[in-house]
Amino acid sequence: MKPRGRLHPYLMLAPTGALLAVFFLYPLALAAYRSLFSWDLLTPPRYVGLANYDALLRSGELGGAIVRTLVYAGVVVIASMAIGLALAVTLNRPGRVYAFVRGAVFSAYVVSWVAVALLWMWILDADAGLLSTGLRALGLPTTAWLGDPRTALIALAGVSVWKITGYAMVVFLAGLQDIPRSLHEAAALDGAGPWRRFVHVTWPLLRPSAAFVGTTSLILSFQAFDVVRVMTQGGPVRSTTIFVYAIYEQVFMNLRVGRASALTVVFFTLLLALTGVQLWAFRLAAKGTPGEARRGPR
Amino acid sequence: MIPGRTRRGFLRDVAASIAVAAGAGGAFACAPRARDGRAEVTLWFSYGGTNRQVLLSLVKRFNEEQGRVRVLPTYQGDYFEGLAKLRTALAAKAGPTLTHVVGEVVPYLAEAAVLEHLDRFEGASTLDLVPELAQARGFVGGDLRPLVALPFNRSTPIVYYDARLFADLGLAPPSTWDELRTTAGRLTVRGAGGEVSRWGFECPIDWWFWVALVGQAGGKLLDGDGPPLLGGDAGVRALEFWQTLIHTDRTMKPPPGRDYNAWQATNTDFLSRRVPMIWTSTAFLRYLEQNASFQVAAAPLPIQVRASVPTGGTMFVMPKGSPAELQVAGFAFLRWMMLPKQANEWATRTGYMPVSSAGRRELETSGYYAAHPNDHVAVAQLQHAEPWPWSPELFRVQREAVQPRLEEAVLTRRDARATLEEARRAAVDP
Repeated sequence: MKPRGRLHPYLMLAPTGALLAVFFLYPLALAAYRSLFSWDLLTPPRYVGLANYDALLRSGELGGAIVRTLVYAGVVVIASMAIGLALAVTLNRPGRVYAFVRGAVFSAYVVSWVAVALLWMWILDADAGLLSTGLRALGLPTTAWLGDPRTALIALAGVSVWKITGYAMVVFLAGLQDIPRSLHEAAALDGAGPWRRFVHVTWPLLRPSAAFVGTTSLILSFQAFDVVRVMTQGGPVRSTTIFVYAIYEQVFMNLRVGRASALTVVFFTLLLALTGVQLWAFRLAAKGTPGEARRGPR
Repeated sequence: MIPGRTRRGFLRDVAASIAVAAGAGGAFACAPRARDGRAEVTLWFSYGGTNRQVLLSLVKRFNEEQGRVRVLPTYQGDYFEGLAKLRTALAAKAGPTLTHVVGEVVPYLAEAAVLEHLDRFEGASTLDLVPELAQARGFVGGDLRPLVALPFNRSTPIVYYDARLFADLGLAPPSTWDELRTTAGRLTVRGAGGEVSRWGFECPIDWWFWVALVGQAGGKLLDGDGPPLLGGDAGVRALEFWQTLIHTDRTMKPPPGRDYNAWQATNTDFLSRRVPMIWTSTAFLRYLEQNASFQVAAAPLPIQVRASVPTGGTMFVMPKGSPAELQVAGFAFLRWMMLPKQANEWATRTGYMPVSSAGRRELETSGYYAAHPNDHVAVAQLQHAEPWPWSPELFRVQREAVQPRLEEAVLTRRDARATLEEARRAAVDP
């Protein structure tokens, strides 16, 4: 379709562009500018150059936040994808029972983060929690899941996996139902068992779905805040101070707008790089799918 | 769309209407008024539970007792969430007429020049306040500075214990650190495998309680305008005392969570009888008494070399920026709240201390404290209250330099001296 006027495409894009400029690009530019100042919101800002970045690096806060966020995101993305895929393959069958289980698994995704966090605080309570009580009844050792710096981050990641696995499952289910049955039948006629059919037919055709789930889960896990705010407040011993919470803590607890802005700039750069890698992987996966090859050049 | 009108014409009319409305709003900007013509004073508050109900009932009574001012209270989360919103609102020039903030942050806000001086209002000089709870003696040199804060929900940390269990075991509330160790040991119950089924003592790993320990060990937080002392050797002893109770004696349970989550966890453990002796604020007195299935008793904090407690809770402040008429109306509300009747109602229904001197005398002479000895613990302890240094850095020292490191030192058993040395360096980080 050819536009009637040369400027028409730009005019159509202008509203979205204006929204992006006002709510994303301008605040980002402002954060980059503010990161060069020492400012507490109330007294006049003082220019400090790159001192905020230097302080974050020297104190280990930046490195710590990056490592913790990557560990958290890694666990959340890998576990939610693996469990979501396993559930999708298992539950991709007709029948009321399967439909009920699919609905039950997905229901966690639509519950608010705060409600989920409060529920899991009760489950993970070191003394009277469901998990510790169950483990004790079985004679197994238990610990303060949210009170021990060695387990708190993994416990939070586990809660997030529980919440978003239903989402991964639904996307994988949609992908599975898009795969022609004839391909499975042909593979079965050729003597392929269930595992080989999964490896050579199902998984290659699910790659675009997997890339989509991976990208959205990664973004979701990088933006995690509510679960930290409610369950651990970044503790114990900063073990759950992941990126967004670190920004919140700097600006609202430590009264340091400049350092929070510096963290925001680094966060943006990190997300940009990771999204670039994801998109590259997505395109690579799309090129490698049999469907792409079957369709041929358009 | 009205027939006969073009879309362009319609949009032009809408835009013109908005512009006229905006212009009118700007031209007639004045103090917000309720429909009945009263001045509307906004009050941001951070109380939950019983304290919130009591505050709202007091505000309701104020609104009913007079016809010129209407106070509109709005809940803003816990103290620190409320403070975060206040700072943002002040930066956006959209602050409330009144709010209340933790004592440690008052010098910072005052030095940032965002608080109204309250001594310019009529009646400010005749307020009859308990000096240790007010700005006058709540801060070092507080009486020499312009009045920027008035006390309301003021507290000290106290000991709460299960009176029946203590009686059964023949125990008395500890009056020294050594006695605290012994008592906590007697109260702790361990299974055959060494796992603890009842802890002897619990206290949030929080700045406020560490400051109490520092004072009891004979230390000072800040000394004039010099670098922060953070208690010196006393600060180290305070931190090591916690480490000993948790790791060596294994009689103290460090509550999970940070800030008020840890405080709530401490209360929950006490109420569920998992821990029969805790330190927490006198603010929870009524809450604990009303929700415990056992007799709750209170006692003063123990001493090491001397008795010392910090004061806590919050103080009312009036952020700059409200129209003059609202400021006068807001101060009228503050004066009303400082009167003996309101101050005492607040204190007796919550557990906070009465901030009115006359009100306090009234409670003493009326026999209230004889009938409610738990209420008197904090009031009697007030003679050992340590004033806060008037330093704009105090709040940042608390939140950024000390608080996170306390948790680290206590949970990971990091060397207390090295921890506080690092905290001192962080405290002078520009």
